[in-house]
Amino acid sequence: MSDSSVLKKQNSLLKIWPTTHATAGATATPSGPSHLEDDRLEPSSIPAQIEFRSVTKTYGQATAVNDLSLSVRRGEFLTILGPSGSGKTTALMLLAGFVAPTKGDILIAGKSVAAVPAYRRDQGIVFQSYALFPHLTVRRNLEFPLEMRGIGAAERAKRVDSILERVHLREFDSRMPSQLSGGQQQRVALARALIADPPILLLDEPLGALDRNLREQMQGEIKSLHREFGKTTICVTHDQEEALTLSDRIVVMRAGKIEQTDTPETLYDRPMTRFVANFLGEANILEDLGFEVESDAAQPSGTVGMIRPERVCIAATGEPKRADADRRQFAIGTVDDMIYAGPLRKYNVRVGDSLLVVRQHVASGQQIFRLGDEVKLDWLRSDVRFVAT
Amino acid sequence: MQLLQRLGRLPVLLAFPALGVLLVVFGIPIVRLFLTSLNAPEFSLANYQMFLGQPANIRVLFQTVEISAIATFVCLVIGYPTAYVMVAASKPVRMALLVLVVIPYLTSFLARTYAWIVILGDTGLINNLLLYFGLISGPLQLIFNRMAVYVGMVHIMLPMMILPLVSVMIGIDKSLMSAARSMGARPFTAFWRVFFPLSLPGVRSGSLLVFVICLGFYITPAALGGLGDAMLSTFIAAQVQTSFNVARIAAASFVLLAIAVVVLSMLGLDLSGSAPSGQIARKSWLPRPPPFGALKGKFGELPMPYRAKRWAAHLYKAGGEERWLKIVGPAFIALVMAFLLFPEIVVIIMSFSAGAFLEFPPSGLSLQWYRSFFGDPAWYMAAWTTIQIGVAVTILSTVLGTLAALGLSRAAPQARRLLTMVILTPITIPVIVVGVATYLGLIDLGLVGSQTGIVFAHTIGAMGYVAVIVSATLANFDRRLEQAAQSMRAGPLQTFMRVTLPLIRPGIIGGAIFAFVHSFDEVVITSLVSGFSVYTLPLKMWENIRNEVDPTVAAVASLLTLLPVLWMIALYLTWWRSRPQVNLSISEAKG
Repeated sequence: MSDSSVLKKQNSLLKIWPTTHATAGATATPSGPSHLEDDRLEPSSIPAQIEFRSVTKTYGQATAVNDLSLSVRRGEFLTILGPSGSGKTTALMLLAGFVAPTKGDILIAGKSVAAVPAYRRDQGIVFQSYALFPHLTVRRNLEFPLEMRGIGAAERAKRVDSILERVHLREFDSRMPSQLSGGQQQRVALARALIADPPILLLDEPLGALDRNLREQMQGEIKSLHREFGKTTICVTHDQEEALTLSDRIVVMRAGKIEQTDTPETLYDRPMTRFVANFLGEANILEDLGFEVESDAAQPSGTVGMIRPERVCIAATGEPKRADADRRQFAIGTVDDMIYAGPLRKYNVRVGDSLLVVRQHVASGQQIFRLGDEVKLDWLRSDVRFVAT
Repeated sequence: MQLLQRLGRLPVLLAFPALGVLLVVFGIPIVRLFLTSLNAPEFSLANYQMFLGQPANIRVLFQTVEISAIATFVCLVIGYPTAYVMVAASKPVRMALLVLVVIPYLTSFLARTYAWIVILGDTGLINNLLLYFGLISGPLQLIFNRMAVYVGMVHIMLPMMILPLVSVMIGIDKSLMSAARSMGARPFTAFWRVFFPLSLPGVRSGSLLVFVICLGFYITPAALGGLGDAMLSTFIAAQVQTSFNVARIAAASFVLLAIAVVVLSMLGLDLSGSAPSGQIARKSWLPRPPPFGALKGKFGELPMPYRAKRWAAHLYKAGGEERWLKIVGPAFIALVMAFLLFPEIVVIIMSFSAGAFLEFPPSGLSLQWYRSFFGDPAWYMAAWTTIQIGVAVTILSTVLGTLAALGLSRAAPQARRLLTMVILTPITIPVIVVGVATYLGLIDLGLVGSQTGIVFAHTIGAMGYVAVIVSATLANFDRRLEQAAQSMRAGPLQTFMRVTLPLIRPGIIGGAIFAFVHSFDEVVITSLVSGFSVYTLPLKMWENIRNEVDPTVAAVASLLTLLPVLWMIALYLTWWRSRPQVNLSISEAKG
């Protein structure tokens, strides 16, 4: 995104919301309460925008969400990540008001919304299938939330024009949704969720229906929209990459429960459970290696050692010792498989009864190992993490 | 508002108005009818013993099943290849053929039955033609025999066989046939092993539909058949009108119902299982040379390994075996379409006849029969009554049926299955049984012989059609659109009016049209509940056909054949135009 286009975006934004959101964005000073940096500095001074209090949702015998407690700060981008059936979509539907909790309570801006139906909750939602009204043009789709709020025709037209400008769909306003490409539909859906300026934005697998290139492009778009508009955003996805790139914080869910909540970096670097380690990226579980795993920290009981594939070095057995050899642990193994993936080379190395994955950046002059080669693996003891099994 | 919210939480309640009407008009009476047939509260099988003890009854019973089964079978034999060729045709051709099949389906069946009297009668088209060419010296007895019954019934039922077959066949992925051929299957083997098993659901639903209608529908056999071709339903109808002995009628009705249920479940089982399907399957393939085709299929599997090597060549070759289909297919379709549509044309020509009695071709042209129709209050008042009833039925059944479909689409699966079955009962069991039960129900309500009574009698069936068609539309409706509307602050009523209703409107209008057609054409139930005091157009036509065969019927029938054209235009406007294609040109013009 070039500087000029960022400026243009800012201008169009000013036209839509001349007062409330002028402070958001890179050029403004961080003074408004909606600004993210502020929240991070003093998290306790700002009340939680959304709070789940021990929410449980059961369908007959099945428990979709089990005793979920979670609070989301104003302006935060929070992603709920989990495999299908982990209860993440139910959590979103509970917040949206389409599903009522069996137990527990949900608070928005400090007030319980148990008795508030979905159509009074004032949230923008982007659905997985976009849910654009097929019988209305793009313009009428965008006007819908404004009409429901009793906004007059002139003001509606003005807002639709500026948001269409913002999502680069100005010339598409009289099209029907079926005449748009997937990426265009996605942008209309985002625009429709944002146009009435709701304080909360909910995204349900927003990029699930797009192909890979478009998905990356839309990730950037969502990220910049969030930066500009400063909405409290909750996103549900099973795509770890999407979660890592978009979020301020990620909640990993499993079988209706929260497994871990942290910033993307902490979650990836310091997963607390084996499930999180495996779900978010690739993980080498250090067991059945035929030797004890050494670490700088003491190993808590009920845990197992884990190291990320990119932290492991691979070398020929005859190679001389490194300078920091005393801070490293070594292992000898045989190459079981090698996968070439462009910038990366992935080795599966058999050590003891275990297969370790090694990810090596391709560089010139590098030795390439073949199937059956005996190799020496080593890693920094400080890179070993202990995860609950 | 609070009421709406509560309804939103218990959507099944939306089906209750429809269920209530059904219960009062049909449900309670049919249970009472059953109890009466068992001599409740003493409970004995005396009525059934009496019914089955009479050899004449047994004969009629067998005859009913025989006529229904043969008519169904012939429909399948003609309908399956027709549907196959239609599905294989290009899209515009297929659409045109579908329209040609739907037009007779929407035409008054009395008009079509009458057409066969004109064609097969002693001074009718065929006899006159044969006499003209000197092939016969005196008229042949073509009508009032079993053959005429089959011709008429197959003509009436064929669209109801073809339409379900087409709808199933259209859903079969054509690449499966290519895949089978790429694996070395010859075209016939590919058809037999892949396409045919996948089309069985259509065979099943088409056959069930036709068979059940045949069981309860006695008008065409009575009009075209001789005295010896009576159906059990004719017998029941006669008894209701003459000696109203409820116990005997009840027993006869439940015997008929039992046959329907037994045959349906047998047929259902046979066709759903894979092993026993072969027998029925082979029957349906009769129009192709059967022994040769079957043998070819068997032998064709022997040199499989060899042919598998040549699969690539086979894939790109048009296939010599299929070339003859290119000639036979269109010829066959043309014959079937002529069979379906020719009678309508005959009726239209007939209506301009100048002669004083039934003959074809007419000796001269005149508008006398139209004048007779519009000049006779008995005729045009009957038409007016029918329209009034039809409009009332359409409104009532569209509202009830749509609400029911909305409620059922949101209900729990088990409740949905059960309640759908209940709502469809009046259109899935033999119509004469519905007629008898409704008659009893309307007696209780004091509505026999009133227009209101006929409206209720028609509504219970019509709302089934509405519910089916609206449900089909709702099945393609994405519930998340409603959630999306709610997330944008649209309340339940706004959501329904702005999002749900516009999107299911084509289904509702389609349902309304079918409801009107159902009411406008209904004669079996009407004849039982009219009490000779209300005359609808079909009733008047039926009386006329039975008694005098006065060509005024031709004028009425001719006018009635124009109606389906109106229906088709209405359906076209609501269904085809509802696609959002118009806006493309507008937006491009703007851009």
